Amino acid sequence: MGIIKSIGWLVLVVLFASCNATRIIKPLEKGEKAVSAGFGGPSINFAGAPIPVPLTSISYAHGIDTGLTLAAGLNTTSLAFGVVQADISLGINVYQTKAKKFGLTATPAMHFMYDFNEGNYRNYPQLEAITWWQYGEKPNLFYGGVGTWVELNKTKAHGQVQTNELLPWVTIGHQFNRAKWSYLTELKYLGFQHETFPLVVDYVSPGGRGTIGVYIGISRRFTK
Amino acid sequence: MKKIIYIALAVLFSSCLRLDSFLYNADDSLTEYKLDAYEGEVEIEVGPAYDVDDSLIHLMTLQSDPSGENKTIWAVYVGRIANIATDTIILYCHGNKDHLDFYWSRVKLLANTGSKNRYGIMAMDYRGFGVSEGPSSEEGLYADVDACMAWLKQMGLSDDRLIIYGYSMGSAPATELTANVRTMQPSKLMLEAPFASEEVFVEDASGLSLPGSYFTNLEINNGDEIKKVEEPFFWIHGVNDDYIQMKTHGETVFGNYQGSYSEAHRIEGAVHNDVPVVMGYPEYLDAVHKFILRP
Repeated sequence: MGIIKSIGWLVLVVLFASCNATRIIKPLEKGEKAVSAGFGGPSINFAGAPIPVPLTSISYAHGIDTGLTLAAGLNTTSLAFGVVQADISLGINVYQTKAKKFGLTATPAMHFMYDFNEGNYRNYPQLEAITWWQYGEKPNLFYGGVGTWVELNKTKAHGQVQTNELLPWVTIGHQFNRAKWSYLTELKYLGFQHETFPLVVDYVSPGGRGTIGVYIGISRRFTK
Repeated sequence: MKKIIYIALAVLFSSCLRLDSFLYNADDSLTEYKLDAYEGEVEIEVGPAYDVDDSLIHLMTLQSDPSGENKTIWAVYVGRIANIATDTIILYCHGNKDHLDFYWSRVKLLANTGSKNRYGIMAMDYRGFGVSEGPSSEEGLYADVDACMAWLKQMGLSDDRLIIYGYSMGSAPATELTANVRTMQPSKLMLEAPFASEEVFVEDASGLSLPGSYFTNLEINNGDEIKKVEEPFFWIHGVNDDYIQMKTHGETVFGNYQGSYSEAHRIEGAVHNDVPVVMGYPEYLDAVHKFILRP
């Protein structure tokens, strides 16, 4: 039937799922602040070509202590649907070498969603661990990690048993740092445990499982 | 400053994007119905063996919802109108694509159920589809199918001889009007590739239990409405349906049915739009006919 497969409204439902790039790669210095904007999302096949769903988000991060950064974000695409989707996350420096060339950041987070149409509310905890490798004089970062959203609802629509307890991903990315500005590119392999055929959305789906997310971001840092 | 924020929020949320209209994949570029002469894409190819005599094809306009959002819609009846008072009629509610010309071959196929023209078949273009006046709406689906029932009733059809068949999006009016009677109470319900609700679409696509209200104001809910249906129920679905998943949508609708009799046909190798093709037309028609003949 070819219904609305290429541009249907169902494509757009992915906007809520793992819709942003990594908020905190390496915690900020104490007192440091950063404002970021991100663009990108899960990839779909559209008109014969793979494209990332163009989702946007903005975020603010604050280094509240050495190795501890608090960040808050807002999905600006979902706002257009009358849905407030916000997240708050805490980046914790778990380990770094003395030379500060390599480190590990753990980031628990919570996503909140509320729609102004019917007042439906959802929240999803998120856990993420990122290892980073710093190189160059600026210095730039390579990073990679794993993360997951956690589904708290035990049932699905119509009382069906919940079978998707986790929505995990693996991430690799690069952050290109300048004096005040940072530029981020990132790939995520999302929901790799989910079989994506048959599905209503024509995801770019390696081996028929999950989808590849593509993201870019820009940040402006403010020192104390 | 506060005022500005409130005004901005009010404007934002009063003009929210809603995805309801994407449900209707209608083609309203037609200026007239061509049926057999239509040269565009069709749902299935059936061949001359399933042709019906021109004298039995009755194109007509109906006034739908005259006391509300009145629209002129188009419908086709295949059979002898004079025999509606005694015949059994299948009211076919098509899917969300294009128009009646696209589904005409299916109407002809159903007109061969049992034997050629053993049953009368009625199908319509919902408002916004084909030459029917638009725009499309959820309530319009129900009103337009009900308008067909009103015409059939006027022609002498009784509830016990009305069978309603909904395919894909057409499962919504078929289920709704069987569960919540308006003009007529269909005696049997047949659903092909039904969807449970927009919430299941959202869950399938996102992997999360997100409410459908995040994206749409549609209230179509076959998964719950089917619980009210007591009439015998026939469900057929492609196991490999690549749009409306059999497991999450179809099985939910079938599993929630609590009426007097149900039968399931899970068609191996079939996707969303080729169930009769994969089954084979004789086998498909045989399954439909056996269900109709059930007491």
